[in-house]
Amino acid sequence: MEQIHYDKLQETLYYEVMDNGLKVYVLPKPAFKKTYATFATKYGSVDNHFKVAGGDETTVPDGIAHFLEHKMFEEPEGDIFATFASNGASANAFTSFDQTVYLFSATENIETNLSTLVDFVQRPYFTDENVEKEKGIIGQEINMYADNPDWRVYFGLIEAMYSKHPVHIDIAGTIESIATITKETLYTCYNSFYHPSNMLLFVVGGVEPEKVFELVRSNQAAKSYDKQGEITRIFAEEPVQVSQKHKESRLAVSMPKCLFGFKEKQDGLSGAAAVRRDLTTKLMLDLLLGSSTALYQKLYDEELISDSFGHEFNSSPQYAFSAIGGDTKDPDLLLKRIKEEINAVLASGFAEKDFERARKKKIGGYLRMLNSPESIAHEFTRYQFRGGDLFEVLPVYESITLDEVNARLRAHVDWEQLSVSLVVSP
Amino acid sequence: MTNNGFQHGNAAGMRIHVLPTKAFKTFAISLYAGVPLDESTVTSTALAPFVLRRGTATYPETTQFRERLEELYGAGFGFDIYKRGDYQIVQFRMDTINDSFVQSKESLLGESFAFLGEVLTRPLLEDGSFRASYVATERETVRKKLEAIVNDKMRYAAERCIEEMCRQEPYRLHPLGQRSDLDGITPASLYESYSAWLDGAILDLYVVGDTTPEEVEKLVLRHFGRSHKQVEAYASNFKPVTVSEVRTVEEKLDVNQGKLNMGLRTSITYSDDKYASALMYNGILGGYPHSKLFVNVREKESLAYYASSRYDGHKGIGTIQSGIETQNYDKAVDIIRKQLEELKAGNISDLELNQTKAMIRNLLSEIQDSAFELISFDFNRQLSGKDRSAQELLAQVDSTGAEDVKAAAGTFQLDTIYFLTGKGE
Repeated sequence: MEQIHYDKLQETLYYEVMDNGLKVYVLPKPAFKKTYATFATKYGSVDNHFKVAGGDETTVPDGIAHFLEHKMFEEPEGDIFATFASNGASANAFTSFDQTVYLFSATENIETNLSTLVDFVQRPYFTDENVEKEKGIIGQEINMYADNPDWRVYFGLIEAMYSKHPVHIDIAGTIESIATITKETLYTCYNSFYHPSNMLLFVVGGVEPEKVFELVRSNQAAKSYDKQGEITRIFAEEPVQVSQKHKESRLAVSMPKCLFGFKEKQDGLSGAAAVRRDLTTKLMLDLLLGSSTALYQKLYDEELISDSFGHEFNSSPQYAFSAIGGDTKDPDLLLKRIKEEINAVLASGFAEKDFERARKKKIGGYLRMLNSPESIAHEFTRYQFRGGDLFEVLPVYESITLDEVNARLRAHVDWEQLSVSLVVSP
Repeated sequence: MTNNGFQHGNAAGMRIHVLPTKAFKTFAISLYAGVPLDESTVTSTALAPFVLRRGTATYPETTQFRERLEELYGAGFGFDIYKRGDYQIVQFRMDTINDSFVQSKESLLGESFAFLGEVLTRPLLEDGSFRASYVATERETVRKKLEAIVNDKMRYAAERCIEEMCRQEPYRLHPLGQRSDLDGITPASLYESYSAWLDGAILDLYVVGDTTPEEVEKLVLRHFGRSHKQVEAYASNFKPVTVSEVRTVEEKLDVNQGKLNMGLRTSITYSDDKYASALMYNGILGGYPHSKLFVNVREKESLAYYASSRYDGHKGIGTIQSGIETQNYDKAVDIIRKQLEELKAGNISDLELNQTKAMIRNLLSEIQDSAFELISFDFNRQLSGKDRSAQELLAQVDSTGAEDVKAAAGTFQLDTIYFLTGKGE
């Protein structure tokens, strides 16, 4: 068991790598009543074409990582939710582009719940019958998202930008694609991506680290895993240009939804360099479009944007893009005005005092995030899977310079790389 | 769980509730302002905080207002407007980091109080009323928000179900008010209603963080000090409703998935001694993934992705929500009604009882880990006038038996079935 002290944050992190390769991290929060644990695999919706050393190259149906997540909850003796409930734990899971996370939160029976979490994720149980049954449930989940205009405008933007990279495929897949999923394809994915060496367990809350490690050590020692070779994820080459400049979906909405963003060139960044690029970009977007900027206030007073106007930046080694926008009565006028205003900032660059204020806001937001065990666990895992360290974010924020942010602005805002996604009423 | 830990006092016409703790890296501040839900004031009460967030005497321009928050290390500032029983509540929130984590020249708690006090009591005034352009823009903002409810079909269906069920009570009103009122509101009329609202509202101020009641009282007197109003308490005007027949409402919109919502009435409210039984009833029916609705509608029949229930102890109503294929309507309604009957008949296993108790225990224990959850739990006590700690509630839940749940089930009467379905199929 190793430990790292983060003096400024007043936190100590404990970690250990199990013999089978599983990485385990514990962050004690003695004042907290609850414990929150996540058990994550570096496997998400984009991992649909892969090869494990010694095995065959495989392509699997869209939506299978998410389908697998649903099916993990079923055990020969029934639904694992019932076991968690008997021990007072609230359990859940989610699938994103590049990870699948299983989790629970509980204030008692922590050791039992932790064992339940690790065991159920390490014990797949798929039958022809239970796979078929799940298709009805996930079909309704897909329909629910199809009615959600925010989801539709968001995915519309990614589809407009990307044509080859699987980030443009809806995480749940389609009714048609999940129809082709069988227990065999599920086992193929499970065996490829749920090896302990591809997974990370994070526990935060009122726990004693050594007890957690003891439990996980003996739990893992009782299971046998062959050593697994390296996983190669295969991605078709994505063109630099956006796939479509403009994409429109129809859904009953009170006002059009307009989301736009810039697709960046694939840069393969990972680790500390990727973390720095991401933090700098997010700071830059806030300085450019945040609710305290002159640009935001002008567009708000012109009634072109509302409180729904926001921005985000999403990246992996193979893709990086911004998503900016919200509800607007006039998407064309909004885009015209945004272009004028952003070009003015491009010419002048950001001012030192605005930069310092935005940096303070980011630091405050980061420290407030550390109050939430859920956010810590999710963010920590996300950073780790990309080779970064969540607890080293403060020094990065402190060292980012105005020049760096101005340079990021000029690199990111390239009007040739713009895509626009709209949802409008039929 | 320490006995909720809040220390209570009065200052500047408000009830003050302080929880000194070092558990968080922040100070959490909440100010609740409650007035009876009333058709004649609901819209102006909702609009006022939108205008207040645009500018104050010291920070007249909205960019200055927001820059100030960023200088305070991105202090979180926001407000929510909602219904609790027959009250309309405006909750202002601030969330500021503890100075010990940063090199700050100012006391961030003190500066946050100065800011909140200013927002509430020293708005930007021009010729004795609100700035006209702020009122005009925020009127549009509220109008857009009301119009946008239909965009989120799950939420829309849930709100429509309540609106239909409570069509003869103030509770039918949306907390953001009525679109038809907006045009008639002027800067002068809004300033007048804001002043009346501030004088008449019941005010509860909460602080959770590394501070003391003495420090908070000083800050309150300094920054909210001009009020001489009487400190008031909430009064319940709950009257149980008897359902004569189940009403069914169908509405057609352009949707892929049908949204099935049901509304139930119960005589059990938050202040009732049987509240724990009603909580257990809801938990067994549809509060969790082990509950009857999830197991029967989703897991056994694959009819839905979500199927759950909620219980609102302030209003004495229960709600059920699910998303289904429109042609499965009859089947889904039958299965759901069957679960209601099962509970009424007392068909409740020990396993269901124990699982639900464990889940409620977890929920109540977790409150302690979130400053705003702690605040919210204590505010429920103020609102209901029921002085019952989380431990007491927990003990009552633990001693609830199948007979108690059956008795609670007897008080839940199905009132309204609302179905949002697709067009032209």
